[in-house]
Parts: sequence; C-alpha cells; structure tokens
Amino acid sequence: MTDTPDKPVLTLRDLTIEFPTSQGVVRAVKALSLDIHKGRRVGFIGESGSGKTTTALAVMQLLAEPGRVAHGQIDLGGTDILSLDEEEIRQTRLSRVAYIPQGAMNSLNPVMRVEPQMWDGIIAHEGHSDRSELKRRSDEALQSVGLPIHAGQLYPHELSGGMKQRVCIAMGIILNPELIIADEPTSALDVVTQRQVMQTLKDIQRQIGSGLMLIGHDMGLMAQTVDELAVLKDGELVEHGTVRQILEAPKHPYTKDLISSVPLVGGESFLNPDARADAPKRNSSEPLLSFENVRKDYGMVTALHPMSFTLQGDTPQIISIVGQSGSGKSTMGSIMLGFNPPSQGRVLFEGQDVQKMSAVQSLDFRRNVQAVFQDPYACFNPFYRVDHALKFPFRQFGLAQSPEHTRRAMEEACQAVGLDPDLVLSRYPHQLSGGQRQRLIVARALMLSPKLLIADEPVSMVDASLRASILSNIYDLKDKYGISILYITHDLATAYHVSDFVMVLFKGHVVEAGPPKEVIGAPQHPYTQLLIDSIPWPDLKRSWGDGRQDWDPVELETEAQRAAAVYRGEVSGFDLAQA
Amino acid sequence: MAVQDMTRAERRQARRIRRFDNPWINPKLLWGVGLLITIIAIGVIGRLIWNLDLVFTGSSPLKLPPLGFENLRKQPGVLDHPLGTDGGGRDMLSLIIIGAPNTLFVGLLASLIGMSIGIFLGFSAGFLGGRTDDVIRVGADVMITIPPLLILVVFQSAFGDVTLTMMALLIAGFVWQSPTRLIRAQVLSMKQSGYVQMAQLSGASTFHIMFREMLPNLVPYLFGSFIASVTTSIVTAVGLEVLGLGPQRIPTLGRTIYEAINAGALIQNLWWWWGIPTLLLGVMFIGLLLINLGLDEVSNPRLRKLS
Repeated sequence: MTDTPDKPVLTLRDLTIEFPTSQGVVRAVKALSLDIHKGRRVGFIGESGSGKTTTALAVMQLLAEPGRVAHGQIDLGGTDILSLDEEEIRQTRLSRVAYIPQGAMNSLNPVMRVEPQMWDGIIAHEGHSDRSELKRRSDEALQSVGLPIHAGQLYPHELSGGMKQRVCIAMGIILNPELIIADEPTSALDVVTQRQVMQTLKDIQRQIGSGLMLIGHDMGLMAQTVDELAVLKDGELVEHGTVRQILEAPKHPYTKDLISSVPLVGGESFLNPDARADAPKRNSSEPLLSFENVRKDYGMVTALHPMSFTLQGDTPQIISIVGQSGSGKSTMGSIMLGFNPPSQGRVLFEGQDVQKMSAVQSLDFRRNVQAVFQDPYACFNPFYRVDHALKFPFRQFGLAQSPEHTRRAMEEACQAVGLDPDLVLSRYPHQLSGGQRQRLIVARALMLSPKLLIADEPVSMVDASLRASILSNIYDLKDKYGISILYITHDLATAYHVSDFVMVLFKGHVVEAGPPKEVIGAPQHPYTQLLIDSIPWPDLKRSWGDGRQDWDPVELETEAQRAAAVYRGEVSGFDLAQA
Repeated sequence: MAVQDMTRAERRQARRIRRFDNPWINPKLLWGVGLLITIIAIGVIGRLIWNLDLVFTGSSPLKLPPLGFENLRKQPGVLDHPLGTDGGGRDMLSLIIIGAPNTLFVGLLASLIGMSIGIFLGFSAGFLGGRTDDVIRVGADVMITIPPLLILVVFQSAFGDVTLTMMALLIAGFVWQSPTRLIRAQVLSMKQSGYVQMAQLSGASTFHIMFREMLPNLVPYLFGSFIASVTTSIVTAVGLEVLGLGPQRIPTLGRTIYEAINAGALIQNLWWWWGIPTLLLGVMFIGLLLINLGLDEVSNPRLRKLS
C-alpha cells in the first residue's frame, strides 16, 4: 500500500443503501459521506435501525439480500470496493478490512481449537505456509491482545466472554489490515471486561496504525475510545466532528438527546420528584417483604449466600440491587417472585411464606407483587395483540368491573407512561419497538397497582435515548402511585439517581450497602470502586481506557474478595442484617 | 417511499413481495392440498356416479385392460370398466373409489390419535418435569428404537381379521413418540420465555398457560408434525396390507397390491392391477410432502425466496 498519511483509509461518498420491501424501497443509509484517516478512530453512534451496521457491511460487500448500494462510492485506500468481483473482495476482506463481530461467543467455531481458526485466515490469503511460521504468527497475535500463548490450544468454550472477544480481535489484526471495523464489540460483556477489551482494541490499533470504525450506541464508551464521532439517525449522518467538539458543543438536537440520556453519578438528576404519594393502605402489620437467611445453590455453586433483610413498605421506597452478571442479583429477583425456591431460609410476604401459600393467598401475592423483566421482546405472547397482556391479569385479579371499565383503565395506564392507547393497544407485539413494549409492561404494573414491583434490568435492552424516560416512568410508580420497588441493575449511575438504598452484590455476597450518595458517590469497598472505575463516562476529563496495562481487573477482584463488607448509613423502613 | 418514483422493475418486485407476504398463498401448499382433495373427490364423486357392487369378486369379466389397451388375450378395454378389472373379476375403478379414501382414512385417524397422545404426553413431560418427565422421555426413546412393522406383523397375525379403525389404533401406538419429543422440547424452552412468566405473574392457572398461552404458538410445529406422521402411518398401513395383513374384506390400496402380487399379476403383464394403486399412493405421498414443505415455508419465513 502506498498511502501517504493524509490520504484517508476509507472514503464514503454519497453512500445510499436500499432495501426493497413490500411497502416500497426503504433507504437504510442516505447519502452518507465520511473519511476515515490512517490511525484515527471513528465512532458510529445511533439507535438500532439507524444504519450503522449496514454501512459497515457495505464496506465489506456483505450486505444481506435484497439490500443493495443504490449509489455512491466506497473507496478503501485507493480501491473502489463496489467494482471488485467476488474473488477480489474475498482477498480484500481480513487482509485489508477486518471485522470484529458483536457476539464473539457465536463467531468462533466451537469444535475447533483457537489456533487453527486463526491460521485459516492466513492460509486463505497467503496460501499454505510452514506450520511453525503459522504458529509464530498466531502466538504473536495472541500476545498482542494480552492473552497467554497457551490460549491458542484451547477450545472456545474454555475461554471467558472477554477472552473470546480478544481472540476475535487477534484474528482480525493477524494480517495487519488498513481498517478495523468493530461492531459493538463489547455489548455482550459487563463493564469490567468491557474496559479491558476496549483497552486491548485501542492498543492494537495504535500499534498497527490502522483506521478503526467503532459501531456502538453508548455515548460514554465512545467518549472514552474514539477520536471522531459520527452521529447517525434514520440513515442520515446528522453530525460529525471530533469527540471534544461533539461532547462540548453538540449542534443537532438528537446528539444533545444522546448525551443527556447518559446518567452521571453525581450529575444532575433526570427525574423530577414532584409528588410524594403514600403507600397503599395495608391491613397487615407484618413487613411487606422479608428475607430470612435465604441462600440459593445451583448444584455445587452457591449463587446467593445467606442474606436477611426486611422491607417495611409503609413508605414507598426504591431499593437497588447492583452487581455484575453472575453476582446473584437476578437469582434474588426470581426468589422474591416465588419462581425459584430458596435452598435454605424463607421469603415472607406480609408474614406469609411465599413457597407455602394456598391458592387464594397465592393469587393475592401475585396481585401485590409484580415484575418488569429485562427482555421486552419476550414478554408478550406473539399470538395475541398486546392488550391481552394488560387485560388478562386485570380480569384475573377481579379488578375489572365491565369491559368498558377495563378499556378505560388500559387507556389511562397507557397515557400515564406516555403511550397513545389508540396506536398501541390493538397492535401485535412485533409491530412495536422495544421501548414501547417495555412501557406497556410498566403500564401493566400500574393498572394492577401492586404493593411491590420487582424491576429486573428494566432498561438494559432498550435504546439508550429511551432509558431515561422509561426509568422515570418506573420512578413515577413510586412517586405518584406509592409502589415500593426493588430495582435490580448493573448500571450504577441509574441506581444512584433512583434509589433510596443500594446493595452491591459480588459473587452472592453483599459487599457494600447504604444510601446511594455514600455507596456510589464515595465507594469504600474495592469492588464498588472497581465497578465505578469501569464505567465509561461521556466526560473527557475522566480518563478510562488510556492504554495502561497495569489495570488488571482479575487482581482487583481477588483483592475485593478478601475485603470485608462495608455497611454505610441506615434508611428507615429497610433493614439489612449485617453478615 | 412513494410508489410513483419506483421503476417498473421495482414495482414488479414489490408486487411479488406482496404476494409473498401472505404466506398461505404458497404454491407448494396449494398443490399439495389440491392433490389430496383430488383423491378424496374420487371417493366422494365415485360413490355418487359409479356402481359400487362391481367391487365384489366375480361381478365383472376377468383381467380386462383399461380403456385403449389390450391384454395378453387381445381383449380390448371396455367402457363399462374404464380402468380394467382384476383377476378376481372386480372392477378397478370401484376398487379405487372405495380403497383410496380408506387408505387415507387409516393414515389420518392413526396420526390424529398419535398426535393427541403426543400432545398430552409432551405437555405433561415438559410442564410437570421431574419423575413424570423421566418416565415419558425414556418411554418415548425406547419406543422410537423399536421397528413398528415387526411388532405390528405379530399383532395383526394374532388378531386375524381387523377393521380399519382397529388397524389405525394399532398404528397410532407407533406414531406418538416423535410428536411427544418435539412438543416436550418446545414446551421446555417456552416455559422459560418471558410471556409465560408474565402469565404466571398474572395469576394464570396451569391450564390457561398450557392451552391459551403455549398451544397457539405450537400450531405450526403441530401441523408439520401431523403431516409427517400421516405419511408414516400410511406407509406402515400399506406395508402391512401388502404383506397380506390388515383388513381382509375391505378394499384398500395396499390390499389390492397384495392380491395383484399374489395372483402373479407381474408375470401375466396385468400392470394396471398393481400399477394404478401404486400411482395413487405416489400421488398421495407427493401431496403430503408438498403440504409439509409448504407449511415449513409458511411458519419459517427465511425459507421463502424472493425470486
């Protein structure tokens, strides 16, 4: 390659991509023009459906049928990509453009060791070479992404998610490409691993000096990783500039939305607590929910170590349970809902053991304890219109007086969460977006007015720009309707804003607990500190993935395991027994 | 995007996609259903316009060829017996009018019973789990390894003459295993799905969850599985009949082939005797296969191609 430094690695000119459908031709990408220069990192940010991935696939001529490039030009370091034939583009992929996919766990062949999978790429482009030469190059690539050499001898299932993603990076850079395309490379990983993988990616990109096209939807991650940012909305490039320009002076309203939708610890709250509603009248003096020494084992593994707490429920409160995947937080949620019996101890709802309820008590318990789950796509039966999910429980719990009354209640609930009832209620689930569906689930909880709502990662699968508004819908449940909420999340920033009390879980233990201002605002336990350090802030002053190799989460986690739990201040109405 | 600024080729493609958007207008499905309806129609219309007494032995001249052919004795086909007659003096057309629907009936009844058992056992195993699941799963797995024809031959020889319904019942005992396994697997994965959890949260009864939430989503699988087991049942039934087992006094396609082989129709060049029933069986299987392929495309849009 004979590029001069000022010659861009990738030039997109007026790129328009179309998908013919039965409703006419859909333009996924509209007249996009952009340069990626050598050694620069460019982030493509936008909601799902904004055309980020489509653009990336077009660069490699991997558009799915019947998509096509309608007009425009794609120029990769002097080569017109669109004029290449099948064989030429095959030679170009990997050797000149590398693609790092979203789900690394699905991208590796499960029946092959890692090493031969890496050799495949070399052999396909350079023909057969000596085994020791292949071995040398794959070892070098593995080392450059910070993996031990013996990782090459392992099968994909023997590697963790973060390691698999790094193997994918190693495969991508093995032929020193001019351009690396990384499509949400960390979306399936938790924050600590995300930071490590992004550091690796930045390091390696700097070493080989290629261009990087990073696709994502997380403004914080972008701010910490890229040099330039391209904001896409409905296939149009609405803003393009350096990260500093865009973060400090966003011009387009959509960019402003994206930036403000990322909640900051200590920043301004996105909630407006106006009314303080009282909890619904209870005819029981027993606490609303209590855990008595609850433990849960899955085989030999203890997912949750003995834990006791009492939630009085006389004043509505939001209790946050924060932790990484595998910390036991979702197990806690399903134990509370009675879906999963505890291995030891009892869960009491108003003095009644959840596992030993009669049919009548059980119906009453179901009415009073509702949930919002993580995946809004799975929560609706695809066979029915969405109003089935709202209507059915309303009738089942004997709240409906007449069909007219049910309809009115549904419409009111929809309006309360900001949905137009005429537009959504008579649709099928697949016709609604994830955000609309999650709001409907919140509306459903509202209609039933339970005493306790368990919200298990309610916004983690929703587009970033909608998260704040859905969270404030949930917050309103407490504020306006007096419902106590257990908020299970991995996102410390939102927990900071919504909750009255925070518990940080680490491997089934509570490591730090107390009011959010203290626990998240000024963490004392090393694990809480590790979590907070790993969050990518949309703030250039807070450095994150600056390529320091001394940041080793494994060591920090071992340290965290030795440290004793830290209990900070008390909050009336919620008692956590100190272990 | 407005319709007017599309080129002619694009409009044509859009029309093709629209047609393709209604999955039930599927050529394979329509052809398959058409072929089966033809066979049923032969049975229904035949009963109205043809003299069915010709199905008895000796009611017609022996070994007449179909219309337009000659047999070895140089006898031409006659209009009274357009498809010829067999070696026992039975009219081929009336044999088919009665026999073809009978064969289809055995297949449908057997797989209907088999599917019902399968749905019941599959749901029980998947939903209740534990010991029930173990028993049903092991039972189905063991039964699937036993060749059905072997057992049925023993059964039928012991029973002697059986009715069509009896035979369908016996065959049903061997077609419930695969629907059981299929439904069990689907129920197991569906049990974890969000909407089933939502229904549980809504205080729904087990009955409601099984039949109102889960079953409607299983319909495409059930259809596919049903058609597949109809095919299996017909193959088994015909297999038994060709061996001379099964109903002795009721004409079926398999029984006709058995008699043809028994009477040496192959060496006497009486090709219409075994050929016509075989052809009809072929049509039946092609029809079922097309329905199965069509249903597959209906329930799995990825298989539908744009061109």
